[in-house]
Amino acid sequence: MTGYALDVRDLRVTLAGKRILDGVSFRCPEGTVTAVMGPSGTGKSTMLRAINRLLDLNPEARVEGDILIRGRSVWDMEPYEVRRRATMVFQDPNPFPHMSIYDNVAVGPRLHGLARSKQELDEIVRWALERAMLWDEVKDRLGDPPSKLSGGQRQRLSLARALAVKPEILLLDEPTANVDPVNAVKIEEAIRSLVREEGITVVFVTHMPSQAVRVSDYLVFLYGGRVVEQGPSREVALNPSNPLTEKFFRGEL
Amino acid sequence: MTRRVSRGPLSRLLRRVRGVRSRDDERFLLLHLPAGLTLLLVILAMLGVFIAYSIPIISREGLHVFTDTTWRAVEGDPQAEWYGLLPAIYGSVYTSLIAVLIAAPLSVSLAVTLEELTPRRLRGSLSLLTDLMAATPTIIYGLWGLAFLAPHMYPILSWLSNHASWIPLFSKHPSSGYTIATAGVLLAVMSTPFAAAVIREAYSMIPLSIREAAYSLGATRLEVIRILLGMIKPSIVAGLALAFARAIGETVAVSLVIGNSMTITPSVTDSGITVSSLIASQFGNAGFYHYMASALFAGGLVIFAIGLAVNVAAVWYMKKWEEKVVGVAS
Repeated sequence: MTGYALDVRDLRVTLAGKRILDGVSFRCPEGTVTAVMGPSGTGKSTMLRAINRLLDLNPEARVEGDILIRGRSVWDMEPYEVRRRATMVFQDPNPFPHMSIYDNVAVGPRLHGLARSKQELDEIVRWALERAMLWDEVKDRLGDPPSKLSGGQRQRLSLARALAVKPEILLLDEPTANVDPVNAVKIEEAIRSLVREEGITVVFVTHMPSQAVRVSDYLVFLYGGRVVEQGPSREVALNPSNPLTEKFFRGEL
Repeated sequence: MTRRVSRGPLSRLLRRVRGVRSRDDERFLLLHLPAGLTLLLVILAMLGVFIAYSIPIISREGLHVFTDTTWRAVEGDPQAEWYGLLPAIYGSVYTSLIAVLIAAPLSVSLAVTLEELTPRRLRGSLSLLTDLMAATPTIIYGLWGLAFLAPHMYPILSWLSNHASWIPLFSKHPSSGYTIATAGVLLAVMSTPFAAAVIREAYSMIPLSIREAAYSLGATRLEVIRILLGMIKPSIVAGLALAFARAIGETVAVSLVIGNSMTITPSVTDSGITVSSLIASQFGNAGFYHYMASALFAGGLVIFAIGLAVNVAAVWYMKKWEEKVVGVAS
């Protein structure tokens, strides 16, 4: 029996008194990609930030419900432990501008003491950059600042940085929304191979139905702070049971 | 709609300035250009006066006025007068360096405390307090240093010189609380709010996305702070350069606590003097001597030069940094 890497139960979030999520539940089996899709402003990003407890930083956020990572509630862990096990990549590329490409990737492993020697650290950095499909482009200039990279490369650097802490779950908040199509394809490929070869579990948030279907094993359709429909991607895509889902696929929402 | 008007020579001249195309632009330029230029002229005039007034002493003593340690004021016999500014220059730089060394950790932690660790409700009043610290006239600090800090520093400095006199810093037993160390500490207290304000400003400008990136790697709050501080290094340097400038320019407060003796000593437990406090304490008598006023102006020139050098160094550092992090950070 495969366990669930992530189990979200009846998640309710309000921001400054405004209800954003109203009882969201879904589960992600180990080593799968779950795409959370829905129109803009429907609470997808907020949901990701609730999962890794980034919302703790927002004094106006109130979160109820339970979130289990491999069966353990995030409320029973330290926030930084939650965030290490479920790292996040954001919509806008956000490498640390003052650190070299190498240091951007190495910062996580250094924080968590994942490498016992320089050599081990080098290996982690290389692994993460390879996994993010960036290694070949930067291997000769690891000391450069991220500003020397293109937007798409910076986003893959952000992905590598998130991978380098060896997370169990990767939370992706529209990671291709602000990059060119070529880079978007590379990022999607990187995600697929990560799941296939490393067994990482991915939650991929997107507002594009085509992308959602393309990258995912499971689909969750979020609308107005609620889950309207969820299931295996193919089933949901070919045979949506809710008229709202159908509308979304047709681009009418 | 544009009206064709005949223009006088002034107007024609003004229109040659890039971006001037209307009467309003001309008026704006006429109004603001002189105001800005006036200030520049005043600064140049100041520098000119200091150079001109320094000429007598420099033509008599040459560069010795900056490198000599003797300060001999003789009434009615100009040939016997001799002025060496080195102890004062040394004291200015030494006390300011001590101030910056103390202010560096203080200002960084003050900035971080206010930005990160203070509950929202208290933040307003604490900020107000630090602003008040920055706005307090320096004579107030001076009096506090004279009446409170110096007497309380004395036992500490005595203890240090008794138990650690093998360290050159504490080699001299203090004869009172009026020492280089006291001046350094007082200057640190005075300049910390300035440095902290610069650092805080930069810290608060760090984009949320960078902050979230650090947190979402599983960094603890203190680790996030460390990462973010690395990002605003140029502003920390700028803040400390400002603190140094304030420290080296400070007059009254320093002369009240430094003991005003013309000596060069590595020992912070000894008394000393700074250029500013030398000028303040001697200028009143300078009229009785032939060369003293000129020597004091030369001292002012040195302060000018040091201030300029520190500023240039800070700007150079920030430029280097910008080249490294082109276009992304600050």
